[in-house]
Amino acid sequence: MTPIGAIMREGMIENNKEGGTQMKKLLGTALVAGLAWPMLAGADPINVKDFALAPRIAEKVAAGEELNIFVSYHDVSNEFAPQIRAGVERGDALDKVKAKFIGPVGADADGQINEIEALLDTMDGLAISSVSTDALAPIIDRVVEAGIPVITYNTDNPDSKRIAFAGQDLIQSGREAGKLMCEVHPEGKLLILTLDAAAQWSLDRESGAREAMAAGCPAAEVVQTVNTGTDPQEMYAAIENAMLGNPEISGLLSLECCTTPAAGSWVDRNGRAGEVKIVGFDLLDQTVEFVENGVIQATIDQAPEAQGFAAVDLLAKFLNGETIDDLDTGVGIFTSANIADVN
Amino acid sequence: MTGSLAQPAAKAAKKRFLRFGGRETGVALALLVMCIALTLLNDRFLTTNNLLNIGRQVSLLGIMAVGMTFVLASGEVDLSVGSIYAFCGLVTGMVIVAGYGLFAPLVLGILAGIVIGIINGLLSTYGRLPSLIATLGMLSMVRGAALILTDGRPVTVNAKNGAAPDVLAQFTFLGQGSVGGIPMQLVFFALIALAGWFLLARTSFGFRVLAVGGSTKAARVSGISVERVKIAAFALMGGLAAFAGILSIAFLPSGQAGRTGLGLELDVIAATIVGGTSLAGGEGTIIGTILGVLIIGVLRNGLVLTGVSPFAQEFLIGLVIVVAVAIDKWTIRERRI
Repeated sequence: MTPIGAIMREGMIENNKEGGTQMKKLLGTALVAGLAWPMLAGADPINVKDFALAPRIAEKVAAGEELNIFVSYHDVSNEFAPQIRAGVERGDALDKVKAKFIGPVGADADGQINEIEALLDTMDGLAISSVSTDALAPIIDRVVEAGIPVITYNTDNPDSKRIAFAGQDLIQSGREAGKLMCEVHPEGKLLILTLDAAAQWSLDRESGAREAMAAGCPAAEVVQTVNTGTDPQEMYAAIENAMLGNPEISGLLSLECCTTPAAGSWVDRNGRAGEVKIVGFDLLDQTVEFVENGVIQATIDQAPEAQGFAAVDLLAKFLNGETIDDLDTGVGIFTSANIADVN
Repeated sequence: MTGSLAQPAAKAAKKRFLRFGGRETGVALALLVMCIALTLLNDRFLTTNNLLNIGRQVSLLGIMAVGMTFVLASGEVDLSVGSIYAFCGLVTGMVIVAGYGLFAPLVLGILAGIVIGIINGLLSTYGRLPSLIATLGMLSMVRGAALILTDGRPVTVNAKNGAAPDVLAQFTFLGQGSVGGIPMQLVFFALIALAGWFLLARTSFGFRVLAVGGSTKAARVSGISVERVKIAAFALMGGLAAFAGILSIAFLPSGQAGRTGLGLELDVIAATIVGGTSLAGGEGTIIGTILGVLIIGVLRNGLVLTGVSPFAQEFLIGLVIVVAVAIDKWTIRERRI
């Protein structure tokens, strides 16, 4: 695996006076996350010579023609899609590459499969983030068997015949969130928040977080996993109900973008900033504000733009004869000490 | 002999009970039983704080359910309300951030909802499309329009993005403020429910809605403009969905076209039906709808308070909806005896 460097902004290693000891500890964790990222359980390095490339694609490569690379995302209407699309558009600017961002509106495995089937004859490479690993594995295998190289990005599909993965290991990112939670909330009761408790990414992150907390802060007890739903009002209401039902809660661990600011809103409005510690994911506007204000203690960035670009770049390199391997797009850990580096 | 005489009398009494508020009484009793059970199961349920939370949490659903009562009672259905809720809330937020003050964005947002509602009504009446299909298409079109307009990016209404501080303060008060300790959302719900009750139960428009839903032919013969009544019901629904969407983004000042209000139409329809409004049209009361909304809200709140697993919560909420619809069907049959 080739780490392209966890997204450790330069500012992260510079602590400020306000950050204090806790921030230093957090940043220590961040460095560990960046430098000691374990190998993903992925494929071996692969070269196009070891791949049964479709003759039509081989001819295009030999003739130096533009290559059609499709990047299928599992939900083009969610918060990350614009950032991933921006990465794909950056990839589109690569020499002799025509990259196109595709995918269903709303997480829809059938829609994603149908779209890929329809475009099969026109694609020279496919990068895919699966809405469901089991549902998408057969189509990935079919595309590979048709001589079209497939890599996974953002969400891996390790049981398929994909040739490489570019993105963040979800279990590992859950572990990092768990470690951060241990830093800010070493003991006491906490809730895990997720907008879709049954989704594979959520299950992976939750298992990683629980594992890290069991090892790193056994005195911290996960009371409940709260499944909030996707609508902002539903999320807030679910958190509100859960906090009322469990007044002893002193920590909130969000597994994704969207319950993170909702948790921040509840804590802020109820005057419990600092008393209830929050660790979450991503850099939505509200999340950034809450980190700046000290309401949220830490958030993990997934670098979606880098994932979108890496998806195109890996395929272009592979088709042009370079040996490729799984690519860790890393994590960026942001606290009040370095949140100013965002934008 | 006594038994044979008593049977028709009991049947008549049952019929009277069902006609004159019996269904609402049944829903109210179910709500009461749920509240007693949750009070016994969790000592935090029956607290002022929690009850106010439930009130606020159901307010937006309730505002939309008032509109849905008119649409269902008129014999139609509107599946586009979740998309209207998202679109109008996001449009309002974007216009506020663009610096057009408060009044213009609010009017624009609500007008957008009314216009979409009128289009739904036109398609379902003069367009002769079943409202299920017309509004299903509108659900997708409006959601798509919201995604195009926002480019799929979250819309956050804050000073950093350009909202004027005084406008921001007024706007957020609509969603986050309170009057005498009562959350503004709940105040709006109460006012809209009162207005809705008056409109449905005490005006000729309400009578016409129920008449149209009960029998289109009979209503037409009676000189009622079926099309106008239905279009008005859809317009009311659109306006209320838009208003709820605006309150939503005023409460949590960030929304995203791919998530906000997704699937909300099912909750709105479920709450309205649980409250006794008939899917077949011709029947429905605002009091019943309020009770239906409260049942859904109390159930969600109680299941979390009592620590029921999230997966089991989904099952139980679905079960309540199925039971409520079954009761609805049963009572229709009883009333027709």
